[in-house]
Amino acid sequence: MKSLSRNQLLFFLLFSFLPIQESVGFVSDEATGTEIMEEVYKRHQQFPYIYEEQSMVMEDRNGDRDTRKARRYSRVEEDGTVKFLLLFDYPQEVKGVALLANRSPDGKTNKYIYLPAYGEQLIESAGEGSGDNFLGTDFSVENLTGEILSDHRYARRDDREVDENKYFILDVYKVNNPLTEDRILRRHFIRQDNFYITLTHHFDKHERISRIQSHHDLKAVNSNMWRANMVLMENINDQHQSLIKTSRRIFSHDYVPAEVFTAKWLYENYPHIKPAEDSDNPEEIAE
Amino acid sequence: MISQIYMLGYRHRGLVSLFLLIATVLIGAGMHRLQVDTGIDSLIPADDPSRLVYQKVMGEFGTDNKTIIYIKDQNLWTPGKLAKIEQLHFAIEKIEGVSRVNSLFTLHTLHGVDNKIITRPLLIAAPKTEQEALDARESALANPLYQGNFFSDDGKVTAIIVSVEDREDSNNFSRNIHLALEEQLEVHRADFEYMAQVGPPRISAELKNSLYEDFILLGPLSVVILVLSILIFMRSWLSAMVPLVTSLLTIIWTFGMLGWLGVPLNILSAMIPSLIIVIGSTEDTHMMAAFLRGLDENPGENSQKKAVQYMANHIGLPMILTVLTTTLGFASNLFSNIGLIQHFSFAATFAMLANGVITVLVMPLMLSLFGSHKNSSMAKGKNRLPDRIVSVFRYSQDRFPISILVFTAILCAFFIFQASKLYVTNDPLSYFPSDRPLIQDTKRIHEDLAGIKIFFISLEAKQGKAFQEPKNIQKLDDIQRFLADQGVYDRSISLADHLKFINHEFRGDTAGNALPQTRQLVAQYLMFLQRGDLDNYVSHDYRRANIVVRHNITDSHTLNQYIEELQEVIDKIAGPDMKTFIVGQNLMVNSAAENLMVAQVKALSLLMALIFLIMSIMFTSLKGGVIALVPAIIPIALMFGIMGYLDIPLNPGTAMVAVIAIGIAIDGTIHLLARYNELCRRTSNYAEAVHAAVNDEATPLIVSSIALALGFGILIFSNFTIVAQFGALAAATMLFSIFANLLITPIIMTRIRLVGLYQILSMAIDPDVLDGSPLLQNMSNYQRRKAILISELHEFEKGELIVEQNTIGRNMHLILSGEAEVIRRDGDESRLLATLKAGQVFGEVGYIRETERTADVVATEKVSALRFDYERMQKDLKFFPNIVAKLNFNISYILGERLADMVENSKKK
Repeated sequence: MKSLSRNQLLFFLLFSFLPIQESVGFVSDEATGTEIMEEVYKRHQQFPYIYEEQSMVMEDRNGDRDTRKARRYSRVEEDGTVKFLLLFDYPQEVKGVALLANRSPDGKTNKYIYLPAYGEQLIESAGEGSGDNFLGTDFSVENLTGEILSDHRYARRDDREVDENKYFILDVYKVNNPLTEDRILRRHFIRQDNFYITLTHHFDKHERISRIQSHHDLKAVNSNMWRANMVLMENINDQHQSLIKTSRRIFSHDYVPAEVFTAKWLYENYPHIKPAEDSDNPEEIAE
Repeated sequence: MISQIYMLGYRHRGLVSLFLLIATVLIGAGMHRLQVDTGIDSLIPADDPSRLVYQKVMGEFGTDNKTIIYIKDQNLWTPGKLAKIEQLHFAIEKIEGVSRVNSLFTLHTLHGVDNKIITRPLLIAAPKTEQEALDARESALANPLYQGNFFSDDGKVTAIIVSVEDREDSNNFSRNIHLALEEQLEVHRADFEYMAQVGPPRISAELKNSLYEDFILLGPLSVVILVLSILIFMRSWLSAMVPLVTSLLTIIWTFGMLGWLGVPLNILSAMIPSLIIVIGSTEDTHMMAAFLRGLDENPGENSQKKAVQYMANHIGLPMILTVLTTTLGFASNLFSNIGLIQHFSFAATFAMLANGVITVLVMPLMLSLFGSHKNSSMAKGKNRLPDRIVSVFRYSQDRFPISILVFTAILCAFFIFQASKLYVTNDPLSYFPSDRPLIQDTKRIHEDLAGIKIFFISLEAKQGKAFQEPKNIQKLDDIQRFLADQGVYDRSISLADHLKFINHEFRGDTAGNALPQTRQLVAQYLMFLQRGDLDNYVSHDYRRANIVVRHNITDSHTLNQYIEELQEVIDKIAGPDMKTFIVGQNLMVNSAAENLMVAQVKALSLLMALIFLIMSIMFTSLKGGVIALVPAIIPIALMFGIMGYLDIPLNPGTAMVAVIAIGIAIDGTIHLLARYNELCRRTSNYAEAVHAAVNDEATPLIVSSIALALGFGILIFSNFTIVAQFGALAAATMLFSIFANLLITPIIMTRIRLVGLYQILSMAIDPDVLDGSPLLQNMSNYQRRKAILISELHEFEKGELIVEQNTIGRNMHLILSGEAEVIRRDGDESRLLATLKAGQVFGEVGYIRETERTADVVATEKVSALRFDYERMQKDLKFFPNIVAKLNFNISYILGERLADMVENSKKK
């Protein structure tokens, strides 16, 4: 089977559950973990232009919830550059906050943050591990960008059957790093009927489950391609959870113009909020 | 009635033994249900209104039940050491009951450099290279949020903070956590320069261990002290053995009953066996002294039975009174709202009552079996120390009574002044001596990081998102500035610190230490924090904010003063639109200290009022009540003065000394007054009666006081400072009570005359005699009995001369029982003038006027007669004016009748 390009794989999860370009492949009972993952990717190859409207619900250990609304833009350029913009609309205080990511063809990724209240300036953002969490959510950008198959080793475990659905179980290991290649990173639960990853256990360095990522409200976009409209990440250690719910998804060039990925567009549409402009309107505060 | 109860053990040995056996087995069976409570909750008043606020704040911002694992090493930031810490971290996470572990492996940093923001965990895993370790050190020490909390300024110390589930401390939960942590520390102890854990689980576990050690040490030590002191002073094995038996039974009954009733043992309970042994022995000593006196006064056949009867008659009621007052002393804390004191008070109250019952039953029983050995030197008056003390005191009393009273008043005034320096503390760590490893570890953490004590300042606004408003965040910062200005707290952290830190990282040094200026920027900065980072500092809706304060203040009074001042400032800074709370388990415990002071003043006042009331009734005189209080007040004044002078704080242990000591010290006074009252009926010389009473009671009083002082004194070997302080102060108070009882009380006693209510009620006199006597006419039955008691009672055998002709005597007699003849002698001739029967009075002329007796009065059978002495009645006039006035009136009436008879007779002639 032909492997997908690095860029295509990178945004496999970033754009949530990508549309299928061509029909079903075949996986034998003796298929390896890598072969299964290749089939998963093959079925869910991305569209180059995706626009989504999302709600993010974050629940803390006391069961208290915060809600944010955001728009997500993604675009794959012809040269292979992948662009990504997450733009917050709600609540009012964070309106205009943006996370802008660029992945160049050579695989280098840069992330920038725009805070309208801070000033018209893109701030480069770097993070690793849980420090890379997605602006207050339990998702990290890494979680959403997905795995690059060539960087990982997939060990197939015994299949399981849950609620009359059969699953492939794959353990994911990092390769090319002698210090970590024996340590399990994740465990994917892949439905055998549609090759959809519905559940992922993320392990910490002591091989304990630290987070559980599950996919719900699955919709068939076409005969082979499915999408989950809800993705839940449970943080076991901190007893938090974050839910991303996609209320609208459009696969269209028109909705994802190249200019939205520029600082200029951001500054124009979400100009700097100077201290004097800060409103004391209680209604707005209460919002 | 009372003496019959006392004779039960003598007359029905089998029955009483069976009862004691069955009761001991049944009650003692409860011992296996005994629980131990060393939790901090027992130090907080159950009705403390701040409990609810505390629980709410804890629920929202996380528990303050945190254990700090202190790790110190010169080479902390090396891959090897950090790997060990990582192992320890994850081993602790696996401990059952641990809810959260924070260490350098869970901390996140945010670092701004060259227009770039880097967010990452401080360490994802133990570094593999030296450079990685050093980079982590740099990041850690650069973050002001972690300085003092997780790292020392020099980077040689780090802390792992372990949060424990908020559970009831049942099934040794705290102890198990402590042991599990200790097990993990032990694995790595050799890897580091120093490691220690400090937190509520360790404090609770150490309290429990120390409690067990105290039980093992103090009880047997008390036994040794008791036996030795009794043997030295009383030279009687029986006198030493009886208290041991009664104490043992009392201990079984007490702990059994506590088990059945579910009343837990606490750190104060450690002294209960000692208290039972020592206090219980005082009654035994007094009873034994009375028994030995009874043997002396009833030689010959049946002497043992007579001595027991004598003991029952003479010690019966005073002992009930002393048991009552001692019990009241302990019971005065029964309604304390501090569980620690209430539970101890219940245990001690029950113990004192049980000891009274057991002693009444066991003492006569044992005396009936072993009481024939009259080998005590006490009965023979050969005790050198008590005699010497009494002779020194007597010399002073006789020579300088007024000077002594004045000196005592000055002394008391001085010590009361010293007592004004008293302060209160209720800090659990202050229960341990300062050289204990726990306290040393606490000190280390305080010096290298920040104090282990935590409280929260919580601000609540009316609107959501209020704490995204810069002006409100500024309020947090202003409060923290005030905390810093107070200069007594180690560290405080709030949302403001986090925002200042982020602002600094974004803007660099140009931002200085400023807060973000707009609420949008606040909200946008907050997106860079892990939500767990803010759990302790702000509610999810930003309506409530929390400042976490760490400190190491152990003096409750000082802390409470600072908190009071802080509350005022917080209210002012927060403004009228915000509610403010300062909460923390530590604060509630300390706040209870003030309640402790108030509660003790109330308990002390109540007890003194009760004692005054009881003694006034018992001695049918308000003066009796006042006098009984004098020897109680003097030792207490001295004790509080010493506390103030030696800087000993009022704490749950020392606070109880006063009430307990009063309850015990009054025992000696009761015995002394009872004996004095008894002797007053035999002599008209009150000074002599006082001397005799002191002679009789000095030995048991001194022996029991010294035994008590020694018994309390051994508590200084307790593991708990508060118990040791209690012991030392109670011991000193017992010694002071000797001074008060034997030096001051006698001086006052010589100036009063008391009649015991029990004597009035128990008097067995034919009512017809009282009704028919002209001397007692127009008096109520009570007044008649009291009149009889303020006179002297004399017994005359058949043929004995009651009044001798031609002698001068200023007294008259009232015959209570028997008959006597009035015989006039003229030369060799004798003429019977009259036969006197019960109720009749004779010698009234001599009473009124000093003149020679005109006839003999001779008992023709055994006569019991009251003698009314003129001089004594003059003295008693000021003590019992109503009674003496009525008697004088009746004497006038009798004389008038006699005069009228004489006139009539002369007319007839």
